[in-house]
Amino acid sequence: MDISISSPLTGTAIGLAQVPDPVFAGSMVGPGAAVDPERAPQVAVAPIAGRLVKLKPHAFVVQSEDGRGVLVHLGIDTVNLDGAGFELVAAEGDQLRAGQPIVTWNPADVQARGLSPVSPVIALDAETAAIEAIVAGAVAAGDELFHWR
Amino acid sequence: MSKAEQIIAGLGGADNIVELEPCITRLRTEVRDGSKVNEAALKAAGAHGVMKVGNNVQVVVGPEADTIANDIEDLM
Repeated sequence: MDISISSPLTGTAIGLAQVPDPVFAGSMVGPGAAVDPERAPQVAVAPIAGRLVKLKPHAFVVQSEDGRGVLVHLGIDTVNLDGAGFELVAAEGDQLRAGQPIVTWNPADVQARGLSPVSPVIALDAETAAIEAIVAGAVAAGDELFHWR
Repeated sequence: MSKAEQIIAGLGGADNIVELEPCITRLRTEVRDGSKVNEAALKAAGAHGVMKVGNNVQVVVGPEADTIANDIEDLM
């Protein structure tokens, strides 16, 4: 079944290869896209409908009913912030609609701390060929980002 | 050997591991001696990749990083 992955953030959709982290840029955890977020406070939303199987302040995984996981990582190396500046508005285990709010944060603050706020959106363990119609350019949270066959 | 045991061995053994912390898809570790890290063994244990800068080693294991880190801590 084809699933549509929507952008968790408002900003500019860029290719995963442009992410300043070799693990994500090299698709080591899976293919996908990235969003260079608008530098203003915003809420990261669920990219698909499903269960919030993992939730950290700076990253989360939503799993679809058929077992596919989508990882959203808010900024690069943001684990080092120990959650400062991230506010959770959902809880691990929640059943979510696509577009439902999960974490509020401010990409401008992340950048001010010397980290990249570029946020990878990864189809975990997917084949590269299973990902298509990857959007580039301006996106709003909830807009389609790519398809996962 | 379990996956956790294989990763400990690939990192040069429990004595070589100074610190180990899971991020959402990777184990961030600091080792005493980076030359004892066996990347091939880590990949054989199921790692998608290994990023090594001196004594800082990141083992990319996917979203089960938390579980594997707990298993490793239990063994150490």
